[in-house]
Amino acid sequence: MPAWFWLVPLASVLALGAAYFFFSQMMKESEGTETMARIAAHVRAGALAYLKQQYKVVGIVLASLTAIFCVLAYVLHMQNPWVPFAFLTGGLFSGLAGFIGMRTATFASARTANAARESLNHGLRVAFRSGAVMGLTVVGLGLLDIAVWFFVLTRFYSIDDAHHVVIVTTTMLTFGMGAAVQSLFARVGGGIFTKAADVGADLVGKIEAGIPEDDPRNPATIADNVGDNVGDVAGMGADLYESYVGVILASAALGAAAYFGAGAEVQLTAVVAPMVIGALGTLLSVVGVFFVRTREGASAQQLLASLGRGVNGSAVLIALLSLAVLSLMGVPNLWGVWTALVVGLLVGITIGRAAEHFTSQGYAPTQRIAGSSKTGPATVIISGLGEGMLSVAVPVAAVGIGTSLAYFAGSGWQFTTDTMNLGLYGIGMAAVGMLSTLGITLATDAYGPIADNAGGNAEMSGLPPEVRERTDALDALGNTTAATGKGFAIGSAALTGIALLASYIEEVKIGISHVLDRGNEFFFPDGSSVVPGSGDALQELGLMEMMARFEVVLVNPKVIVGMFTGAMLAFVFSGITMKAVGRAAGQMVDEVRRQFREIPGIMAGTSDPDYARCVEISTRAAQREMMVPSILAIAAPVLIGVLFGVPGVLGLLAGAAVTGFSLSMFMANAGGAWDNAKKYIEEGHHGGKGSAAHRAAVIGDTVGDPFKDTAGPGLNILVKLMSMEAIVVAGVTVAIHLV
Amino acid sequence: MTTHLYLSLIPEALIASGLTPEEFGLYYAIGNAKRARGQAVFFSVDRGALPPGAFDLSDVEARTSPHPDGHPKNSVYLSIYRVLEFIPREALTALHLTTDDGRTLTLLPRPYEPDGEQRARMYQEFCPVNPRVVSNLDPAAFTAFITDTSQPVHVPRIAFTELTLGTLRGDPDSADPDVEDLPYPNIGHLRDCLRELATGPAKPTKTVLRQMTQEVLFRTVRRAFYVGDSTGLTAFPMPDRDALEREHLAWWRSAQSAFGH
Repeated sequence: MPAWFWLVPLASVLALGAAYFFFSQMMKESEGTETMARIAAHVRAGALAYLKQQYKVVGIVLASLTAIFCVLAYVLHMQNPWVPFAFLTGGLFSGLAGFIGMRTATFASARTANAARESLNHGLRVAFRSGAVMGLTVVGLGLLDIAVWFFVLTRFYSIDDAHHVVIVTTTMLTFGMGAAVQSLFARVGGGIFTKAADVGADLVGKIEAGIPEDDPRNPATIADNVGDNVGDVAGMGADLYESYVGVILASAALGAAAYFGAGAEVQLTAVVAPMVIGALGTLLSVVGVFFVRTREGASAQQLLASLGRGVNGSAVLIALLSLAVLSLMGVPNLWGVWTALVVGLLVGITIGRAAEHFTSQGYAPTQRIAGSSKTGPATVIISGLGEGMLSVAVPVAAVGIGTSLAYFAGSGWQFTTDTMNLGLYGIGMAAVGMLSTLGITLATDAYGPIADNAGGNAEMSGLPPEVRERTDALDALGNTTAATGKGFAIGSAALTGIALLASYIEEVKIGISHVLDRGNEFFFPDGSSVVPGSGDALQELGLMEMMARFEVVLVNPKVIVGMFTGAMLAFVFSGITMKAVGRAAGQMVDEVRRQFREIPGIMAGTSDPDYARCVEISTRAAQREMMVPSILAIAAPVLIGVLFGVPGVLGLLAGAAVTGFSLSMFMANAGGAWDNAKKYIEEGHHGGKGSAAHRAAVIGDTVGDPFKDTAGPGLNILVKLMSMEAIVVAGVTVAIHLV
Repeated sequence: MTTHLYLSLIPEALIASGLTPEEFGLYYAIGNAKRARGQAVFFSVDRGALPPGAFDLSDVEARTSPHPDGHPKNSVYLSIYRVLEFIPREALTALHLTTDDGRTLTLLPRPYEPDGEQRARMYQEFCPVNPRVVSNLDPAAFTAFITDTSQPVHVPRIAFTELTLGTLRGDPDSADPDVEDLPYPNIGHLRDCLRELATGPAKPTKTVLRQMTQEVLFRTVRRAFYVGDSTGLTAFPMPDRDALEREHLAWWRSAQSAFGH
């Protein structure tokens, strides 16, 4: 075992220790007044009720899929016997990370509001360090899962054998699917929950009844606050957990393939390098958390700069220290690998900045949408769609340029068949670089809903204006970090998707080796074959040769059908989830209207609304409505694999990745821009609150809600889950395909 | 149970009620069992200050006696149309502004104090007619003008408020970007009216909107609401922004959330 590997469990333990430290520090803070504590308790209870229900459903799905994988592994011998367990731990750890993050967030909101009573800096510190609990838990558990599995598997497979190293890394990759299934339910279910509550609260509470935002008389307001936690904390955490472990494991698998035959030490160094970079980034994330502080009366820009100090400080440190660490590790092609890593970091920053540019009210695109509200809702919708579509250009270009640079850097600035695996390893390392500082990046994401809930708590509790000014400032900062966080999540999903696509071929080789192990000859679509006993020869087949043998070319109808299907799935998935929000919101609207009608005294403030009922409606709707998109995402790779084999699956993954990335970015940015265009008007522009322009902007914001918080982020999961699943069922695809 | 008399401005009506001003505002804005929504502007009326015989109040107690279940009577309309003109200013003891979700802010009367500014103003009239006009006259002069019986167009008594114009007050052609942020429809037309006021013949007022079709955004009110007649002017000053945020937060948040024109 390379000595550097031990940095991985060490970083994991330190990250989890730091998360516990920040959690316990937060818990020592007071929740403030009795009203503040009561409101926080409502939100906490609602969030817990939702998660319990969600985990029941996910538990059933995970158990069912585990049973299927057991049959495939132990009865039909189509899969590696470790897959069912790896799958299960991925799902459990991902769920645990989301649970811890969400519990922390629901404990932190009132404490943040109360801390803001003392000072802005105190409020920022409580909110951000509570967000850091989520960030550090995700990376800590991710590294722990990786470290334990690597340690366990290397007890069973000798790492002196290059073939075994490939088996170890590709087996570990399969636990990403467990995380992917968990994140699908967390992201999509959470997205449906939060937007059903949000849209319902807005349509009846604000538009019909004229109740202000976060007013305790609105029956859906607690559900709305709960939604921020289940969607933006638990959902985002599960999403990025999957990306994080996915890119590290995919890069490890690509490293094993790239340096196959280069010697055990070199190969193992390439495998361990992504894990070590993840560990280093985690340690630096912990350091970065302490950089975040501000002074009283800080402006929005100064608050943003405070967070930037932490995030950028960690990024600069990882860029510098990773060179030293990679050098000490003896990583082959040091400068190329390091360049790829830095390129990944820069791509992440570029995507985040682009998202900020297109969604922040401080920039022209959002201001243009706000301006179009003066001519009514139709022009708001049109301009929002237009700006959203334009916003795709820079991130796609960044990913394109970044991928190319990383490839060239990884391959030693060559573009030959022989160096393709090295180039793909470079792409994997770029993705690792992008996500290396996830601990602190995710802290800024999770900070957003905490600050949002703190603002809501301050409003509902009637805290003095100076406190609400502070929580508003923290909340406004959270809106920006949420938008950039979504961009980052989508961007990382794109790079993860590319890395997984490359890893798929390695898993196909393993699948073929299972066929050979059963004593059967395997025939490629081009007519060539491999016979039992030629496993090493199979492993030495280059990527391009594998592509040629499987006839993965654009003119192959199997590839084309797969690509069209992948593209179509991105739209169908979005359509289903958006309609789900519409239906669930409709139920919420009916319930809120019923409560206003049947519970006297709500508007007078003499009776409490039935908050729990609204939470229950959102919960049930989320569980019910996410079944169809989930089944679609899980079934598609299997069906396409059975119908069209490996070429069809590769086409499917490519089509879904390309379309899903663009569509997801479009939806997230358009939704964010509509949201902030409304906020821009609420700041007093174009007539301010209550004006005709505001009314039009509210409609734009409502349309954008399922764009940015349900369908858009859900597409990340679709792309990654299908890739992960394709990898897990590669053995089945290889063994059974009709065409 | 106390019987309250209220003069509603939207629509103009004298109403007796067993509800306190806050309860009446809530009821008037959002209804009882069914969902209704609409802001309310109404005065508390001192019954003792009403001229004898102006309204038939002989059986008002009987008509506003509580329901059999003990609930107070919400509203009994005593008179509609041409109500304000029969109620002297002295009888108006408080003005209540209710947002469309039922939060009520109470303003107390004060003697009118001129601000001394000689610039254009915009007035939203509520009663007995409700156009929106721009004028070169300050509230006292405007009241004198509109209640001058020698003018062909006049009213006996008027309730109105002044709305903010921002930099348009001094310059109808102001290029200040904040002008475009004023929450009024058709700013171009408003500029035309102000230009005409500034350059036209001695015309002290110019109509911007013939009729108030939607709710007034309370946040656009400048200084006060006014009730005036040929004998003088009573102001009902609005609290400043700081006082609204500190002392009337719930109302202020509702007022800012309302949709109107």
